[in-house]
Amino acid sequence: MNLYSPRSDMPPIQEDAWVPSTCSLCYGTCSILAHRVDGVVVKIEGNPDSEVGKGRLCGKGVSGIMTHYDPNRLRYPMRRTNPKKGLNEDPGWKRISWDEALDEIGEVLRKLRADDPRKLVVQRTTTVTACRVPFHAFATAFGTPNFSVSGGGQHCGNGAHLISGMMHASWSVVPDFEYCNYSIFFGASKGHSAGHASCSNMGKAADARARGMKMVVVDPLCNFAAAKATEWVPLRVGTDAALALGMCNVMVNELGIYDGPYLQAKTNAPYLVGPDKLYVRHPESKTPLVWDTRTNGARPFNEVPAADMALEGEFTVGGISCHPAFQSLREHLRKFTPDWAEKISGVSAATVRRLAKEFATEARIGSTIVVDGVALPYRPVAAIAFRGAQGHKNSVYNFFSVTLLNHLVGAADVVGGCLGFNPTSHGYPETGMVRYLPNADPDGLMIVGSWMGYHYPYPPAQPRLPQNLGLQDLFTIGMTSPFLDSTDREEMWEKFDVPYRPEVMINCGANLVMSIANKDAVAASLSKYKFIVSFDLFLTETSNFVDIILPDCDYLQSLDARSNYPFIFSLPAGMGEWCWPIRQPVLPPEGDQRQFADVLLELADRVGFRADLNAAYNAWLDLRPPYRLVGDESYSYERICDAELKNNFGTERGLEWFKEHGLIKWKKKPEEVYWRPFVDARVPVYLEFLKPIGDKIAAIAEPRGLKIPLEYYEPLPDFLPCRSHCCDKPGFDFYGFYYRDVVHTNSFTMENPWLDETARLDPFSYAIAMNRSEGVKRGFADGQAVWVESETGRKVKGRLKLTEGIHPEGLGFAAMCGHWTDGQPVAKGKGVFYNDLLELDWEHTSPININLDLCVKVRVVPAESAS
Amino acid sequence: MTDIGMKYERLIQDLRQDFRPQREWGEGRGLFLVIGHFLVGVAAGAWLFGLLFGYLPGLVVGFLLAGAGGIAHLAFLGRPERFWKMARRIKTAWVARGFLGLTLFLVGAALYLPPLLLGSWPWGPASAIAWLGWLMAAAGMVVLIVYMGFVYTASKGIPFWNSPLHPVLYMAYAFRGGAAALLVAMAALGIPSQDTAERLITIWIGVTTVVIVLFALEIQGALTSGNVAARRSVREMLAGRVAVYFYGGTLVLGLLVPLVLVSGQLAPLSLAVLAAIGLFSAVGDFFMKYATIRAGVYLPLDPRPLRRR
Amino acid sequence: MRWGMVIDLKRCIGCYGCQLACKAEHGTPPGVYYARVLKQEEGHYPTVRQLSLPVLCNHCEDPPCVEACPTGASFKWEEDGIVDIDHDLCVGCRSCMMACPYTNRYFNDQRQHYFAQGMTPYEEARTGSHQHNVVMKCNFCRDRVRAGKLPACVANCPTIARTFGDLDDPLSEVSALIKERGGFTLHPELGTGPSVYYLPP
Repeated sequence: MNLYSPRSDMPPIQEDAWVPSTCSLCYGTCSILAHRVDGVVVKIEGNPDSEVGKGRLCGKGVSGIMTHYDPNRLRYPMRRTNPKKGLNEDPGWKRISWDEALDEIGEVLRKLRADDPRKLVVQRTTTVTACRVPFHAFATAFGTPNFSVSGGGQHCGNGAHLISGMMHASWSVVPDFEYCNYSIFFGASKGHSAGHASCSNMGKAADARARGMKMVVVDPLCNFAAAKATEWVPLRVGTDAALALGMCNVMVNELGIYDGPYLQAKTNAPYLVGPDKLYVRHPESKTPLVWDTRTNGARPFNEVPAADMALEGEFTVGGISCHPAFQSLREHLRKFTPDWAEKISGVSAATVRRLAKEFATEARIGSTIVVDGVALPYRPVAAIAFRGAQGHKNSVYNFFSVTLLNHLVGAADVVGGCLGFNPTSHGYPETGMVRYLPNADPDGLMIVGSWMGYHYPYPPAQPRLPQNLGLQDLFTIGMTSPFLDSTDREEMWEKFDVPYRPEVMINCGANLVMSIANKDAVAASLSKYKFIVSFDLFLTETSNFVDIILPDCDYLQSLDARSNYPFIFSLPAGMGEWCWPIRQPVLPPEGDQRQFADVLLELADRVGFRADLNAAYNAWLDLRPPYRLVGDESYSYERICDAELKNNFGTERGLEWFKEHGLIKWKKKPEEVYWRPFVDARVPVYLEFLKPIGDKIAAIAEPRGLKIPLEYYEPLPDFLPCRSHCCDKPGFDFYGFYYRDVVHTNSFTMENPWLDETARLDPFSYAIAMNRSEGVKRGFADGQAVWVESETGRKVKGRLKLTEGIHPEGLGFAAMCGHWTDGQPVAKGKGVFYNDLLELDWEHTSPININLDLCVKVRVVPAESAS
Repeated sequence: MTDIGMKYERLIQDLRQDFRPQREWGEGRGLFLVIGHFLVGVAAGAWLFGLLFGYLPGLVVGFLLAGAGGIAHLAFLGRPERFWKMARRIKTAWVARGFLGLTLFLVGAALYLPPLLLGSWPWGPASAIAWLGWLMAAAGMVVLIVYMGFVYTASKGIPFWNSPLHPVLYMAYAFRGGAAALLVAMAALGIPSQDTAERLITIWIGVTTVVIVLFALEIQGALTSGNVAARRSVREMLAGRVAVYFYGGTLVLGLLVPLVLVSGQLAPLSLAVLAAIGLFSAVGDFFMKYATIRAGVYLPLDPRPLRRR
Repeated sequence: MRWGMVIDLKRCIGCYGCQLACKAEHGTPPGVYYARVLKQEEGHYPTVRQLSLPVLCNHCEDPPCVEACPTGASFKWEEDGIVDIDHDLCVGCRSCMMACPYTNRYFNDQRQHYFAQGMTPYEEARTGSHQHNVVMKCNFCRDRVRAGKLPACVANCPTIARTFGDLDDPLSEVSALIKERGGFTLHPELGTGPSVYYLPP
């Protein structure tokens, strides 16, 4: 009998503060108010002042307290004493001081920089947006182009961000929830799960659904967005392009519905293409030509009024037969009949026709609307895609086919249509800073106004014999690369005579052993590094390969001046207000924890490239005098943040002002949100530039023994099957895939006991979803332990959840669970590690945007014992 | 894994079920509650038959069992040091009424019994105090016999227990338990008369029959009630978690064995057999209560308005 | 004045924001969630919908837990209709847990914490302030409400699916929503008279 009594001995409250800052449980970085009472954070709520979250948080955000106070947090730097590195090798951690750590790291870096700075690989997690600029600046200043975001780009970004950038000048796309009437989500859960502007989107999406927006969700799994859909359209895993192309064909060729004026004015549809599939260009200026129907001749596109440009017809120009790109597109689309789409995707031909008709009709081509006194085109339909649709070998065409639906009806960045996240900003009114607009290249195609590193989505850089370890300067359509860790990386580096090998890695929080593909491949790659430094909150599976671990401060202990900038990343799209929140420390570091930004600055001082780092910060933060960093002065990170804020918002609004107010806001204008009519730039509905890129890459690669499948570089989209679609091994009759869970982020949150507990109570979070009829047919029971085996023999174990809500051929795995590290005892053993089924090599990579092929053909067999 | 660890793991598994078993009453410290219910029911019945047959040992047994039952209840409570607060809601709560009943009974018996057992005592067996004690004990006994079933029917969260037969059934248990207690007492201390023993056995057979009928009716009622949780509880009892206690404890030990013994087939009705009948019957009663409590399953939550399942 | 809540099942997406915001506000021990989200599947492939059902104490008009409580620890505030627990009166008999047809009450047994290594400073501050061996449950964040704020679950919901207000006021938002959208309660056949209404999904 426990006679514990309530705390009558609690002293009176001395301190009670609500501190505005930003969350970091996922990269959404919603704004928070942290309630600190007598030095303890007792609650985290949203910040109602902020546009990011609008005062509310998802389950992860409110649970941040338990990640912060987790006793398994690293508190002091450690060095391995066991020189052997392996998945099962105990590193033999020994506590060291910061001085010892930085002495050794500094020494390694100094030598490396003198030798060849490119041998440094800088890796970071996408979850902590605050580490982007400091680590990019460090890498730039150090002199290495070898930068990666772990699984980040290879799973989601290379397709989704690339095409969103190319077609909408933004990192991601979302329906204009405020005005959209009919939305189709392809493998996306915007507004129903975590991620970009998630909490704000949740409110907006709910409003849209309440208002009556019809939401069609195309997804093999009925969860998150599909769970709330007006209509769930299950399809075979990885076949989104087939459905989208079928719909495009119906719209253009059966219904004859498309927005001609939009295509004429805002796309390269009228550009003439010749038999070589390339633009027909003016002989001197090289400007792409269009056919002027008024003068009946071919003229440069920038000299002809859009309404006079032909979209169809056969013409002869300078002796060459040519026709507008739109005609190529139109003819090309004919082969994507609804019956063909049904055969590939499993969606009935009748449904393909119906969806296309509904979409095209509701697009209300030609209509306009007035918003805040500005007359704008009105197209209340939007087709969006994200991680699910593009996570395949045919990543580029998958995503492109979906957004093509928007561009065919002119529903791109206009009222009610598919919006990029803040592709334009006219800047902060008082200073004019933070201003960016897309513009156009000489071919008239859009160049983004704001981007996030690597290279711009368009125009792609010219391929060359690669000097980057990730080969991104050869595969210039790609962004994050698998070739840093793939099983054939050495082979690739040798093929292309890459003149150096990676020796040192600096990692910020990424757990690449889990987050890229199967653990053995990444483990083998990491073992080869001579020296790895890692900033971490906890020991992870990757820590087994690290030489020196540095205890990081978490978001409640850190400073960051640009939590939600660039605006294309995590500021909500659509009308409302611009909002620039900052992150400020709410609690002091524990033990020897230090902020990574400070450590990087000190390292630069020690190694002796501070001047370069200051210059890099100037460039990355666009610092102007008098706030520009000068020479090699040892600015603290606080000074740099202060400089950035004053640089953007005026001399009275530095760090102190932001610490008090938390954020700054100013109203958005319709011309900023619905910028498409106001920006003179076109987007490609005909990907003409892919062909020359592909040819150049082939010219470099094929003599060296790497065959480039050029069907991926055709200017018009096609359905190109994944490896799983071609597998016909008997018994392998499920398409395995993973999907994001609202309650978890990457491999990070399973250690949080509240989130773990919530996931354990959720029917899907730690389970493998299988169609109930299919499961019963095979004698499986709900909750049964099974082995899931890929066609290459990789196996993972988990428990089944039999559900009506999944395509009969689908096998869905939630999140990235299945931890085995002792450093995260709460996470250990929970859920299933799907990525262990993935191969990491050229064969399983998209030959164009080097995205990983994330679906796997698998076989399911009962397991004897409990998971 | 620690004790609290196991309990926690099980709570998580329970919360994932469509039909969540109740565990607070009957498992862990909750076992004391079942023991307490059982002892108190038997005690009241023993007192009743003790009065009816004029059998003093029966009264003593009743008093001792009630005391033990009270201690068992205290052991069950989360905050036993606050037990007296249970008097505050006699107006509305059956548990409070049960507390009142037990208090009246114990105090009353404590006033009534000593002068009967001990030669010199401050007040005599016919004194006003003794009569007061008798009245209190009688009132307490009535409350104890009646209240227990209502505690279960008041538990709206457990549909299995919501049968209107429950109060009657628990009253029948009290009678059966009382008869059994007297059988044991008589076997141990000597039969007052052959006639008394035979009447007691006849009563026991009669009450046992009533219990069987009521119990069967209750099960049938639960199965046909249309309530999924009630049906699930029946399944737990007849073919699930609790089946072993029901078949082994309630039926075999509590019914089969004493009935065989009472028929005289196995052995002539000696004192030892009498005691055995009483003990096995009591054990069976315990397991009946235990199985009923453990079979309790919470009403599941369903958002579909007025959906009939 | 009778505080009530309306939960719009059309808006709710099952993000667990309410479940966890409540836990953060009250520091409930492991396994205890005053506000929970239940997930239920409806239909057969391919016509399927996943329903998210947030549940919490219904603060019934005729609360079976108040009736069953022998000490009066479970009681209903006259002035605002909130069903609360006076932890000093609770003896831990758990009759209320059997009486509640919505299983929204929890027994707080011995000192518990989430990490094997012991209580975190947060748990010392919040979880540690709860009495042990008594029953605990949602009280509509009465302290917050009396200070003019919304209950934690309502304030935090990102889809704005939860509304809080006076059910006795016919002009309040909650009353309007119930009337206009056909708000319903859980298990109305039991006659408990919940103050939590749901709008159809």
